[in-house]
Amino acid sequence: MKRIFPMNRVEGDLKITLETDKGVVSEAWSSGTMYRGFENIMLGRGSLDGLVITPRICGICSTSHLYAAAKALDMICQTDIPDNAVRVRNICLMTEMIQNDVRHAALLFMPDFCNSRYADSQLSEEAFRRYAQLKGQMAIETIRESKKLIEIIAILGGQWPHSSFMVPGGVVCVPGATDISNCRYLLNTFRRWYEKRFLGCGIERWSEVRSMADLNVWLDESESHRNSELGFFIRFSKEAGLDKIGRGCGHFISFGALDMPDHTEIKSLNGGKTLLPAGFDLTPFHQRNITEDISHSWFGGPSEPKHPFEGVTKPYATGSEDKRYSWAKAPRYEGLPAETGPLADMIIAGHPLLLNLAEISGGVSVFTRQLARMIRPALLIPFADIWLKEISAAKENFFKDYEMPESGDGFGLTQAPRGAVGHWVKIRDSQIEKYQIITPTAWNASPRDSNGFRGPWEEALIGVEIRDDDNPIEAQHIIRSFDPCLVCTVHAIHPSPDPSPKRRGESSIYSSFPFREGGRGVR
Amino acid sequence: MPKKLYWLQCGGCGGDTWSLFNAESPDVAQLFDMLNIELLWHPSLSHKSDDELQALNARLLSGEEKLDILCVEGAIIRGPGGTGMYDTLSDKLGGRKPKKDLAASLAKKAEHVIAVGTCACFGGIGAGSDIEAVGLQFSRWDKGGLLGSEFKASGGMPVINLPGCPCHCDVITGMLSLLSADMPIELIEKYHTPVEWYNIMVHQGCTRNEYHEYRIEEKRFGEKGCMFFYLGCHGPLVKGPCNKLLWNRRSSKTRVGVPCFGCTRPDFPQPYPFFETRNIEGIPIKLPSGVNRPHYMAYKGMAAAAAPERLKERKTGI
Repeated sequence: MKRIFPMNRVEGDLKITLETDKGVVSEAWSSGTMYRGFENIMLGRGSLDGLVITPRICGICSTSHLYAAAKALDMICQTDIPDNAVRVRNICLMTEMIQNDVRHAALLFMPDFCNSRYADSQLSEEAFRRYAQLKGQMAIETIRESKKLIEIIAILGGQWPHSSFMVPGGVVCVPGATDISNCRYLLNTFRRWYEKRFLGCGIERWSEVRSMADLNVWLDESESHRNSELGFFIRFSKEAGLDKIGRGCGHFISFGALDMPDHTEIKSLNGGKTLLPAGFDLTPFHQRNITEDISHSWFGGPSEPKHPFEGVTKPYATGSEDKRYSWAKAPRYEGLPAETGPLADMIIAGHPLLLNLAEISGGVSVFTRQLARMIRPALLIPFADIWLKEISAAKENFFKDYEMPESGDGFGLTQAPRGAVGHWVKIRDSQIEKYQIITPTAWNASPRDSNGFRGPWEEALIGVEIRDDDNPIEAQHIIRSFDPCLVCTVHAIHPSPDPSPKRRGESSIYSSFPFREGGRGVR
Repeated sequence: MPKKLYWLQCGGCGGDTWSLFNAESPDVAQLFDMLNIELLWHPSLSHKSDDELQALNARLLSGEEKLDILCVEGAIIRGPGGTGMYDTLSDKLGGRKPKKDLAASLAKKAEHVIAVGTCACFGGIGAGSDIEAVGLQFSRWDKGGLLGSEFKASGGMPVINLPGCPCHCDVITGMLSLLSADMPIELIEKYHTPVEWYNIMVHQGCTRNEYHEYRIEEKRFGEKGCMFFYLGCHGPLVKGPCNKLLWNRRSSKTRVGVPCFGCTRPDFPQPYPFFETRNIEGIPIKLPSGVNRPHYMAYKGMAAAAAPERLKERKTGI
């Protein structure tokens, strides 16, 4: 039977269509239900206008779009930016990632634990105590603590969301000593809360957890671990079997994020130019290998996959007999779909715990994907604090004047809270001639491509058993574990089955298992 | 009886919702609790399943359940060709209906209708583009929009516009506080914006005001002076409470050195480039709202001559 269900608690509108055979998902289509046409809104505008317009793509990751837009212009102006400006950009991006990670967990993902499916579970009452709508203890605390944390972006960038403080050549702000010490105060106050309530231990103790065995020891070590958000999440996930569903497409992509200042005590996680390394699975990444496929998307123009510099965005509505079913294009890397987000970031960065979990279970799952998001702040907070300290010590500017050429091409790639985001920009005669954007959810929510490969979360749904057709909570957990954000992306119309979608092919990151300490991927 | 609130997201980014999450006293959780507002539906907060949502919509549209306050975030998407099919609601059978129709139906049932953010007020980012975006009761400067210029909600008021990209959290919580207490609301006739928050200029409260006063104007980023003459700042041209309320309780774009982009204006985003002031011989084409041009020019000339050295040096922590 075929069933369509719109999902709530998603940024933007999302519709999932599942075909089940004896209760097991045999086919899946993911469709956003809105087209916003940002790329065309950019055409003919002033060279710098991407800095103002593109943050408005997304209410929860405006800083990430700003970072990508500014980097594209840095490239067009061929300017290098002062170390302090790099630090300010990074601190703001990390702050945006961290607020998203905790909000997604406590306000969007875990409320599904209050679903009627779990009414008989012994953990149900605890789930309500934590996550009940606007009443649960963790929901309330997360609302309070996350909004304090993002004051950092307001101090450095004027406001959150939707500021435009990054410009080619750096940032516009000139923070004083008090500003920086206030940012450190906010970061470290948040850290204490996160350690106490999310982890149940200090970040130092948590970072000793490097394998599944360590995780089990950690969980049983103390009540504070078991009762933390993470502890509860682990206990609930085991009971609900979240470690057994939502494997995904077997490929991961990161554009790399957090540019390294020339002088800093921080070492990048793989010795590269960004703290979080770029990569496709465990191979080096190059943006020229990206294409966008529109074979199943509601766009007109040339049908063969195009690099974003060559691609166009022409909305094109057809009747329901057509195989097209999504306003999202299908981004592909060397022709393959790829999952992006905190899990991809951290697997590509060689995070030992996540690699070990993937290896032991023969793949990732809803559990590993969500775990990655919940523990990413533990990775980022200490780095952000070091960069804040370095700003106060460095006596240098935050902006270096640039010359804007009348024409030029540039791209800006980074990681948003939800994964890989890229802007490809062509300026001609001081006007934007082309502006193509690939958002994280375009990767994750992508429709099928001309090779018949499903998008990552379509693939993740295949094979899952839906116990109650009227309440497909298993599918909801899977989609939610990707932190879907449709406002950035797409729209889809009536799905019409494509007779024979192919599997994603034989290759996957798992063929590189086992990972070895010291080998590529584990650092 | 608690007031019942429904929050509908249309063609937007969700930024007004996340702005609302910035609210401090009361914060979002306290707000609904203390104002005795029952949140019937919010797409990012509600735990309701889609079946429950459909049942709620049916009750509201039949009048079985009362709708006190309808908040709409995001533009009304009418494209392509007026069909609204770029933004649809799906039913279980695969049918699709334009979301604009639900917005219109709910608006007719609500006692008060609030457009939250510039997109819902005037069309915003997508106005004049492929998606044919309009606001609830305006299309950029013109009355009309989705509901028509004559529309009044059942409480007797037209759509209450709370522009801003995003709308400031204190404006949203303030508006809900007034409505929940049945307090009178005074609107500026021209754009249906409450006098309470939209009768001051963004410029008011900006820490760069003294630079503006003495015409110490910046041509490049990363400096401390005024951005009105060269960097495209709309602070003295556009109404909004940014520098009175401050953002995230901390600062504002203009305070840190980002020019005001005029995001509360009905034609935001402007058709000409940001970060530069359109000018004739170095004098802005648009002068601060309401000034007499010759008098202003005379004042500016004298102000520049009178500028104190301490300001020219820009030695300040602010």
